[in-house]
Amino acid sequence: MPGGGQPAQGWSGVVSQEGMIYVGSMKGEVVAVNSSTRNLEWSYALPIQSSSSIMSCGRTSAPAPIYGTPAVDGDLVYIGSYNGKVLALSSSARSQGLPFPQARSGEWLYSGTEEVIGGIVASPVVDEDAIYVTSSDGRVYSLNRDFGDLNWKSDILGEKLWTLPVIESDTIYVSTFDGYIYALSTETGKKLPWSFKAEVGFVSSPVLYKDIIFVGSFDNNLYAIKIGDDKALWKFPASRWFWAALVVKDGVVYAGCLDGKIYAITGETGEELWEFDTGSPIVSSPVLVDDLLVVAAESGNVFVINSKTGDKERVRNPGTTSERTIDAPVRASLCAHEGMVYIHAQDDRLYVVDINERKVHESFPLTIK
Amino acid sequence: MAELWSLIILNPVLNVLIALSSILSNSFGLAIIALTIVVRLILAPLTLRQINSTKAMQTMQPKIQELQKKYGKNQQKLQQEMMKVYKEAGVNPLGCIWPMLVQFPIWIALYQSIMRALATTPESLLDLSYHLYSWQVVSQAFPLSSHSLGLDLGASGNIILAILVGGTMWVQQKMTTAPSVDPKQQSMNSMMQLMMPLMFGLFVLMFPGGLGLFWAVSTVIGIAVQYFLGGGWGYFNPRSLVPGPKEASTQRRARR
Repeated sequence: MPGGGQPAQGWSGVVSQEGMIYVGSMKGEVVAVNSSTRNLEWSYALPIQSSSSIMSCGRTSAPAPIYGTPAVDGDLVYIGSYNGKVLALSSSARSQGLPFPQARSGEWLYSGTEEVIGGIVASPVVDEDAIYVTSSDGRVYSLNRDFGDLNWKSDILGEKLWTLPVIESDTIYVSTFDGYIYALSTETGKKLPWSFKAEVGFVSSPVLYKDIIFVGSFDNNLYAIKIGDDKALWKFPASRWFWAALVVKDGVVYAGCLDGKIYAITGETGEELWEFDTGSPIVSSPVLVDDLLVVAAESGNVFVINSKTGDKERVRNPGTTSERTIDAPVRASLCAHEGMVYIHAQDDRLYVVDINERKVHESFPLTIK
Repeated sequence: MAELWSLIILNPVLNVLIALSSILSNSFGLAIIALTIVVRLILAPLTLRQINSTKAMQTMQPKIQELQKKYGKNQQKLQQEMMKVYKEAGVNPLGCIWPMLVQFPIWIALYQSIMRALATTPESLLDLSYHLYSWQVVSQAFPLSSHSLGLDLGASGNIILAILVGGTMWVQQKMTTAPSVDPKQQSMNSMMQLMMPLMFGLFVLMFPGGLGLFWAVSTVIGIAVQYFLGGGWGYFNPRSLVPGPKEASTQRRARR
């Protein structure tokens, strides 16, 4: 296969806002679902990716894979695709089926034909007047929130940037595959004086809690880095990469690992509070609902864990005879909304888990009937 | 079966390839070259057996050609007589095929390792993580850069590599394929000598450059081994590529 390895298919997470659920489907569409009625309100297919090769006569087209979770702000849904496009979609314009883009509704597309940027894997980040995206071309892009114009693009920070940037006041923190944490100005995109260099690369997105950055590395360690320091505060070892985005609450880091375990670690010291082995790699980011941590293993098993004690219970699925909760791999980040957790599995269905009942309430395909 | 394959063959080859990249200044291109040489060294006894077998077959060619002339129209008789000759000389005609078959799993593992290690999509990188050993030298290799030796080893369509692979493969085929008296057989041989290099040249255009580099290095080593252990250029006459003084004057006369 040209390019090497497995084809890009995507694993978009779910976001919920104002009674609607938004997710990127495996067919390269942004889908909006009414969270009360479960009606599929609208879907919009992202610009397809086309490629040409010496072996094919002409160009071939395929849906644009979506990895990031859409970012929502009022009526607008922001999404980045693996073929290097960023879109602002108006929910009202899309539900009316109007041609895209409806500039009067705030819709735009970046980039147009004039500039090609690398594939986007991480979710877009909305902050004040700008949208920030990281790209496979190794740069961070800042786009005008209203019109999608380019504010700035950073220098190349690494061979590719697949991780989510973190914004704290006027600074963007980015982790790179070659082991750097860079601090960039939100105004100009220029590097600020402090950066951190580890001996190995960082594989997960950084998470900021107070003034400590938590990030997983290629040497199977979870790093805690105090901003301004040039040495790690602590390192927590595991037997595989910490791929999933971490969750931090009340000074405790909840870290899902590809070794199949979820670890609860004290943020200040790196001391382990508890661990639980799900039996399969954890790719998707877990979600906290009050004191309950909901974790999905790649195998499709879903667990509800008491974040204080580590007591766990597997989520049942009355709708299947399979031993697993979901009969498909789970890689996308989870989303909690009003006592329910939404899980987008690789079979392109949305599973709704009732946390109190510890069971799958329902599931439905991401297709407009 | 797939798990056994990964455990015994694919994972060791993949991890050694990545470790070599780490050792060789994070150059994935140099790692491919080094691993190809290492694999060739490990398989040297088999290669030697294959060459000896081929040489024995070559020495018997005059006899075989005689038989082909004599029994060309009676294939069954020809086969019987040929087997008799092979038996008398103590040569197994399949002797040069078995060592080649044994080498195939290693080549396939190398091919899969290069494809996996480049991990150009998020799915590939995730899948790669499941095949890695917890060696420090492996962790330090990441991220593997596909740009090495002036090539993009992750991109397909490198025309120079395609010509190199096709050209070297054609030379290797020429060195080892004995000419046949039977015109049908000879025409089939000629076709094969052309088709194989063309096919591999096209593969190089279709697959990532890393694989093309592996094929190119492997074929060049194959030619060198054949030259030094198999006794020179074999059936290939490099001078035939350049018109000699006699041929050149004939061509001049023909033009006049």
